[in-house]
Amino acid sequence: MQIKYSIKTAVNGLRTHKSRSALTILGIVIGITSIIMVMALGAGAQNLILGEIQGTIGSKVIEIRPGKEPKGPTDMMGIMFLDSLKQKDVDALSKKANVPSLTGVMPLVVGSETITYDSETYSASYYGVNQLATRMYNMIPVAGRFMTEEEVKGFADVAIIGNKVREELFAGKDKVLGEKIRIKGKNFRIIGILPEKGSGMVSFDTIVIVPYTTAQQYLSGKKYFQHIVVEVDSEANVPRAIEDIKTTIRDSHNITNPEDDDFSLGSQADAMKMVSSVMDTLTLFLVAVAAISLIVGGVGIMNIMLVSVTERTKEIGLRKALGATDSDILIQFLLEAVILTALGGLIGIILGSGLSLITSVLINKFAALNWTFSFPWGGAFLGLGVSSLIGLVFGIYPARQAAKKSPMEALRYE
Amino acid sequence: MNVIEAKNLGKVYDNEGVKTNALREVFFDIKKGEFVAIMGQSGSGKSTLLQILGLLDDYTSGTYHFLGKNIKDYNQKEIAQIRNQKMGFVFQAFNLLARETVLNNVKLPLLYSDKPEQEWEELAKAAVVAVGLEHRMHHEAKQLSGGEKQRVAIARALVNNPEVIFADEPTGNLDSKSGQAVIEIIQKLNRELGHTVILITHETYTAEYAERIIRLHDGQVESDTKVNNRRIHSHDFVK
Repeated sequence: MQIKYSIKTAVNGLRTHKSRSALTILGIVIGITSIIMVMALGAGAQNLILGEIQGTIGSKVIEIRPGKEPKGPTDMMGIMFLDSLKQKDVDALSKKANVPSLTGVMPLVVGSETITYDSETYSASYYGVNQLATRMYNMIPVAGRFMTEEEVKGFADVAIIGNKVREELFAGKDKVLGEKIRIKGKNFRIIGILPEKGSGMVSFDTIVIVPYTTAQQYLSGKKYFQHIVVEVDSEANVPRAIEDIKTTIRDSHNITNPEDDDFSLGSQADAMKMVSSVMDTLTLFLVAVAAISLIVGGVGIMNIMLVSVTERTKEIGLRKALGATDSDILIQFLLEAVILTALGGLIGIILGSGLSLITSVLINKFAALNWTFSFPWGGAFLGLGVSSLIGLVFGIYPARQAAKKSPMEALRYE
Repeated sequence: MNVIEAKNLGKVYDNEGVKTNALREVFFDIKKGEFVAIMGQSGSGKSTLLQILGLLDDYTSGTYHFLGKNIKDYNQKEIAQIRNQKMGFVFQAFNLLARETVLNNVKLPLLYSDKPEQEWEELAKAAVVAVGLEHRMHHEAKQLSGGEKQRVAIARALVNNPEVIFADEPTGNLDSKSGQAVIEIIQKLNRELGHTVILITHETYTAEYAERIIRLHDGQVESDTKVNNRRIHSHDFVK
């Protein structure tokens, strides 16, 4: 029989039992819907986080952290208290001969303090940076200006504040620029206000920016930096620069064996790679969980197909008597199973995409995040492929049972 | 020319070690264009015989030649082809696809044939017309009366222009009037279109439409006689 008529016959077979067919594919629909949703929402979350990273750390920026390459959460904690990065490293990196592709070096001093203005207080993080932070961290004030090189060199007592800090300390006040806030007993003049960033992963809203020199001298009181951030002239030079930086700091720290490194490097690409790999693993895990429901769905299909074969024994006998071969019958029932599951897959794809789209609209509306929805083509093809495969795998046994029937016994069946 | 040659045919059913002789030492030939009725009480083996002759079941001893060739020389696929192209079946229970139209039911054997697709519609329509159901062509099978259903089944058996039509108690589920109409159509197919017909029945009245009656008893041929006062159809169903 021509495949066209095999398909027609199979579709007719399914149409005769519409509600049963619908119930049978429910398992597949749910499975594929979950897979599509997990993939679409996973991709949305990944895009969001990657976007945040891109928006925060420039692609030409490399962060130098104290301590060994962190291998786990405890290593990460340790970084805060490591003191290996000092002014001499900044000086070494600033020498053009050491790392030719560097266009800027910025030490970073980070801490937490209570900030006061009049009777208002607010507990915030302070970031000691230099004038390059505008380029490296995209810290461009919406009002006022950023610090100058002279102010950094001259231990100036100037501050740029985050939007939340402004709201907390200057509620209802128009004049903020030029006002003085107090941190650890020292007055800082506000010269700029940072734009509102929203509740992203990295937020400048709750921080106060000061020159790193001032921060080291008056706030942290320590001789070392939490980070040194450098900028490379082009993205293409980042790998080369990483090697140069390693050599420079090893020289500066008298390290001969790279295993003894007391610092580590991180670039935007590294951070994005790490986030992507974590998100991919998580998505894969969730997809695997959802896939279990597909297997359950497949068993359901097999069950119903077996019932259908028994119920249609007489029809099978008749078709054989009229000239159908074993393979005609096999193909008919196999096609019924595959069409059924593929249809379930298709419904699942539409449903999953629809729900993901609604979810992303709701997230954008209520969580004020820049969540993007993109149709998961990969997931759609995977879903359609997997659901058809399930039809094939779980349909083969019932179809073979059907094909094996002797026409005479099948015709006699009551 | 002999369409069917059965020599010493036997069939033993083996039901979990319990053996039943359904057919024993059955000999007969059926010529092209003959109309033969096979009669016998229930359990006499007449249905088993028809299933063996119709290649729906296997025999356990003897030989069976169909159109001059030993059936054992055919493979499964060829046997399906013979059933499709050389044989037509009419069953007591009609065996139509209830939700399909009359035309689609009649087309069913064509789906498995090698006839070109563009001829299907015409062939099916001609067969429906031949059994006088042109006004029911697009009705679903379940909407028809018993007699009409059996006429659809006859049209279906006819559509591939088979050598032999096997009819297994075709009037068994019908009232006498519809039954008579059906048997008369079958007779007309034999007399006017030349189809060989093998009819299974337990009713002498119906069997007398045939020209020859083979009687079975306990799986053996009891008698094989010519019908002297053959009934001839009176209505003009076949066009």
